[in-house]
Amino acid sequence: MGWRRVLVLVGASVSAVLAVLASLAVGNLGIPLGDVWRALVSPDDSAHSLIVQTQRIPRTLLGVAAGAALAVAGVLMQSLTRNPLADPRIMGVSSGASLGVVIAITLFGVDTLPGYVWFGVFGAFVTGMLVYTLAARTRTGSSPVTLALVGAALDASFSAVVVAVLTLDAQTFEQYRFWVIGSLAGRPADVTFTVLPFIVAGLLLAVISARGLDALALGEEVAVGLGSRIAVTRFGAAAGSVLLTGAAVAAAGPIGFVGLAVPHFARALVGSDHRWLLAVSVPLGIVFLLGADVIGRVILLPDEVRAGVITAVLGAPILLLLVRRPRLVTA
Amino acid sequence: MTRLVVRPAAAVSFTLHRRGLLAGAGLIVAIVVAVLASLSIGSTFVQPGDVVRAIFDIPTWAEKVVELRTPRIVLALVVGAALGLAGALLQGVSRNPLASPDVIGVSQGAGLAASIVIVAGAPIAVLPPLALLGGLGAAAVVLLFGSVRGNRFVLAGIAVAVALRALTEIVIVGAAPVDGQRAQVWIVGTLAGWGYDEALVVAIVIAVLTPVLFWAGRALDTSALSDDVARAIGVRVGPRRLVMAVSGVILAAFATAQVGAVDFVALAAPQIARRLAKAERPPLFCAALTGALLTVVADTAARTLFAPTQLPVGVLTAALGGPYLIWLLVRGKR
Repeated sequence: MGWRRVLVLVGASVSAVLAVLASLAVGNLGIPLGDVWRALVSPDDSAHSLIVQTQRIPRTLLGVAAGAALAVAGVLMQSLTRNPLADPRIMGVSSGASLGVVIAITLFGVDTLPGYVWFGVFGAFVTGMLVYTLAARTRTGSSPVTLALVGAALDASFSAVVVAVLTLDAQTFEQYRFWVIGSLAGRPADVTFTVLPFIVAGLLLAVISARGLDALALGEEVAVGLGSRIAVTRFGAAAGSVLLTGAAVAAAGPIGFVGLAVPHFARALVGSDHRWLLAVSVPLGIVFLLGADVIGRVILLPDEVRAGVITAVLGAPILLLLVRRPRLVTA
Repeated sequence: MTRLVVRPAAAVSFTLHRRGLLAGAGLIVAIVVAVLASLSIGSTFVQPGDVVRAIFDIPTWAEKVVELRTPRIVLALVVGAALGLAGALLQGVSRNPLASPDVIGVSQGAGLAASIVIVAGAPIAVLPPLALLGGLGAAAVVLLFGSVRGNRFVLAGIAVAVALRALTEIVIVGAAPVDGQRAQVWIVGTLAGWGYDEALVVAIVIAVLTPVLFWAGRALDTSALSDDVARAIGVRVGPRRLVMAVSGVILAAFATAQVGAVDFVALAAPQIARRLAKAERPPLFCAALTGALLTVVADTAARTLFAPTQLPVGVLTAALGGPYLIWLLVRGKR
């Protein structure tokens, strides 16, 4: 088993590097590979060099950051809630970020992408913490079912507010569209650098709570009996998952399905040890999101299809097949 | 749990929950109040007295206004009830509160079919039947891949739902802007512009399924038992579950095919009803009433709140149902 995991990790990492290279080389304007290479090592003022420098490099950076963040956040959420269905949308975090961006536009008149990002991260963080806190206040405590219900209810309420504001206010709608449909495209590198600290912090929290999550998977009482501090684990995983999703969604708009599907792929490959699970989900998330983005650039030339759409179309059949494996999802 | 045993004939008996009856009565009163309020509020305000007069055919100036407002309210009641029932059946059978038609792909299947119809410029008359096929097809895939119960069902459902929504987006992106927007409006779901014809279709489906619903109401009680226990007392677990899931899907698909995806009713109504009736499983009758009440109130608000702009009813069902459900969840702590 040990060798298999190492092999999987190496394979996934190599694929991630290939995805990064593909993302730099492929686009809806065909640029010869030689020009791409020259633009990377010695940028000049030629058109090709500018496109690589200002479009493809920022886009690839964002894809790497968002893919890794969403995948790790998915692992944390699913383990923490012991619910294989937990993902940013169901937990309400995505619509919290959307609401933050809408508030930034309507109430504070913010009109730049890096400006939205702060509000998006803040909205996601507040919503995520609200879901966990409200669920803890219910009779059944933070049981998987309550968490999912509270998350779905908050998600629906916030989306409703967002849609209502957008329906009533055409000007906000124009600006919001810019944020929500761009996915990885058209994001300046500033956006990625703004969210990078949140993502690093989130990844650190994930690493710290990995052992605790292993213990928690055995059940709360067993975990306490083993000397694991479950309150610390819970807080670390909750804060980590919310930071990671908030940062990714704020920067790239709501991208569904990466956070839901990648943890299932990872679990099928390396089992349920959280250190392996987290390590493998980083490259897998990058491959999944960047790969989808590359396909989206060329599949409907000259139009682009945003990465979130491709992740859904590609990921759904794989997830459907995984769902049939009896050990993977407990009924 | 207090139960009343009703035995109208020697061979027939069923039990009623006292608390469930109470909740049902309260919900009916609330629906009557909501309908009266909805008839009187609008661009012209009608005194409740005149509304009642118009209903009982006593001459009044407001006859025409009330007549105009009635079809949409009837439609809201019927669609809400159908969605409430659908949610209660799916949640009961899968024992998962997230199993509702808009989470497991029925709405998205209907939405994909509808957007293809609109973008292809096909006659609008073929839209409801094709949307129905889309919804049923999506559910068939989900049932084939994830057995009828538990997380596997919902996970397969989410996968199908997300993929169908993505395909819909591809269809809309590729379409002319006008068509894309029309498709988008249909998908969000609105009761504006529909009336008795649509209500009749959904009402017939509910009527046809009523015997199944009575049987399912009893069956859901034994669903609370573990499968092994249920089998031991002679329940055929598999077929029964399939029948309930399929009826839920049919109800949802018909309602969605007529008016578009009205969000959240099917998810929230059964959960709200379960807490009002203090029951273990989502109670069918109360879920239908809650769905109807939620949809009527939401549609009235959608119609009047920002007049003359009308919001999609799905926005208001979520805005009203979401916070109320959270309040019920949090209040339950003791």
